[in-house]
Amino acid sequence: MGRKMHKGLREILEQKKGPIVEKWREQIHKTYPPETAQFLKREKDRFSNPIGSSIEESIWPLYDQLIGEADPATTKKLLDNLVRVRAVQDFTAASAVQIIFALKPIVRKEVFGIAQKKGLVQEYLEFESEIDRFGLLAFDVFMECRERVWEIKRNDLLKRPFMLSGGMCPSYMMKRGIKHLEKLKKEITQH
Amino acid sequence: MAKELTPQEMLRIDLTPPNRDWMDIPTVIKPGIYCYPAKPEKIEIVGMPNPHVWSPLDDDWGLPEDWKETFLQGMRERLEKHRSFKIFMDICVRCGACADKCHFFLGSGDPKNMPVVRAELIRSVYRGEFTKAGQILGRLAGGRKLTEDVLKEIWYYMFQCTECRRCSLFCPYGIDTAEVTIIGRELINLFGLNINWIQEPVANCYETGNHLGLLPHTFKQNIEFMCMDIEEFVGITIDPPFNKKGAEILFVTPSGDVFADPGIYTLMGYLMLFEHIGLDYTWSTYASEGGNFGFFTSLDMAQRLNAKIYAEAKRLGVKWILGGECGHMWRVVHQYMNTFNGPPEFLEEPVSPITGTKFENAKSAKMVHIAEFTADLIKHGKLKLNPKRNDHLKVTYHDSCNPSRGMGMFEEPRYVIKSVCKHFYEMPENTIREQTFCCGSGAGLNAGENMELRLRGGLPRANAVKYVHERFGVNMLSCVCAIDRAALPASMEYWVPDMKVCGMSELVGNALVMEGEHDRPTDLRGEEIPGFAKAEGEGEEVTEDV
Repeated sequence: MGRKMHKGLREILEQKKGPIVEKWREQIHKTYPPETAQFLKREKDRFSNPIGSSIEESIWPLYDQLIGEADPATTKKLLDNLVRVRAVQDFTAASAVQIIFALKPIVRKEVFGIAQKKGLVQEYLEFESEIDRFGLLAFDVFMECRERVWEIKRNDLLKRPFMLSGGMCPSYMMKRGIKHLEKLKKEITQH
Repeated sequence: MAKELTPQEMLRIDLTPPNRDWMDIPTVIKPGIYCYPAKPEKIEIVGMPNPHVWSPLDDDWGLPEDWKETFLQGMRERLEKHRSFKIFMDICVRCGACADKCHFFLGSGDPKNMPVVRAELIRSVYRGEFTKAGQILGRLAGGRKLTEDVLKEIWYYMFQCTECRRCSLFCPYGIDTAEVTIIGRELINLFGLNINWIQEPVANCYETGNHLGLLPHTFKQNIEFMCMDIEEFVGITIDPPFNKKGAEILFVTPSGDVFADPGIYTLMGYLMLFEHIGLDYTWSTYASEGGNFGFFTSLDMAQRLNAKIYAEAKRLGVKWILGGECGHMWRVVHQYMNTFNGPPEFLEEPVSPITGTKFENAKSAKMVHIAEFTADLIKHGKLKLNPKRNDHLKVTYHDSCNPSRGMGMFEEPRYVIKSVCKHFYEMPENTIREQTFCCGSGAGLNAGENMELRLRGGLPRANAVKYVHERFGVNMLSCVCAIDRAALPASMEYWVPDMKVCGMSELVGNALVMEGEHDRPTDLRGEEIPGFAKAEGEGEEVTEDV
């Protein structure tokens, strides 16, 4: 990530941005059942269609990151927007992140022929490797999301009322915790 | 070189959503989506049928031999008893107006979570088993026969509806899909197939008066611990009355406020408010639960659990009842209580003893919402407030489904919050008031094992919260429902990590200027308030003894 793309190839990818990203969006929509895919495409309001809008708001700038000098933080945020939802839906890890790899055949169909004619095959292959890197990063994001889900499950379990049976009022326990922490801090400062 | 894959092939990893009618797509029950089954002993306590051990992942659910007849007979009885259910079975034209209005559909993308399809799971059985057209034409008339797989599918999806009624708002025929879910769950309960997250609170509530099963002394002790916190953070001593005969008002709130973070801070707000105005009221250690998980089991069970509120009001001889911040408690109070166990002739029409305001809206059920009560106090200038103590907060308000859509209360909580917080920001119009999105965990679904479901269902609400967070820097999500307070923190942890959740009365408590209070550098959570913290070295020495 962060490597400089060949100017000529970048120009082609810029020119083809519209059709490529639109096809990409369609492919992502199609990972949902047909009725849902239709809805994701149809409803434009951000709040009435949170999945559709997060896809729309992510894929265009993500494509820019892909063909430009990708900023790691921005790229990760955009991938997060795409993957976070899929991490709690009916997708396996593979089917959750394959939406990034799905870009490869689309770009290949639109751009590879032109790149070949212009003698940019090597550059094109490097670009595909960049898509792979984005895909792997998406897998990192997916794993972070799944870890988060388990953390939330654990936190939820710890907050469960039955914890009371072995303890006391949570407010009391929290207060005791705060006091203990304050005491420790004081001891550390004194020493 | 490997074969070049087409986009379609690339997508065919293990998910190729089939383009078929919903009836032809088998339902696969998945962990993370369902809640654990009810423990048999919790079913036995309330005398409900067929308590047994089973698992949703097993083929054999331990159904009684005559389960099919029982289901159909149960359905027949309910079609006769509830005219609304019969109408909802008959009149849907499947226009799809409700289809994309459900938070579970919006968050999961599963078409069976479209309210029309979810209701169709039961409606198809109605057509196939009860209507001539369906019996003769079968699928051509949208009918199907009841099989074990059909029952399992109904079970799975009846616990993927929070009965929030957002869909009903958009139905041109006024079909209330929540009522279909209510009946669906009643039918499921005929075979002991409830979930434990609902059944155990029901059993506890039946035995001890609240969902957690707190015995009277523990209930009292917990509230006294809150008083200790108030003493520390505010500097005043409160001695709340319990089971006080002859008090003017009985106060009932969900027990979540008594033991769960952040509900406990809301409860501290109640205690301070009542102390501030010198209210003649009482807590009850028997009617110690405002919530009613019976409502998620069967209407009969809801009635049985609800009965204790009036019974206790009668025993204590109060004039009227004040209710705390709860969700479905208010739906039960507003729509069912009067016919369940009332009208209570022994109570008086509620009148605020501080302002003299008559709560005419509560003339019949005799129960007033704390937001109405507090808004009236503020309107009459009866509260001494210092909203600056909430200046570090940028607050938005989540309309809890039941108080908003269920009883039409939109403005009172906003009026109260705006009176105690300078920085208030609304979420987008199509996500608040009557169009509010559910927290994603209502109707007894706020368990831990179904977290993926909860996070899916929480997405539309969180999406709107994220918007005001990013646009205005909102950092506090307020609400008036105990399930919201229990459920939204988890949803926020996943979708909007910097967001905190609070009840309305917590904000009131923080702003109240109490007589005899000491310096208050912290809020009711014990967290320092910027601008109010003491200079270094000025603070009192912390002792271990609490």
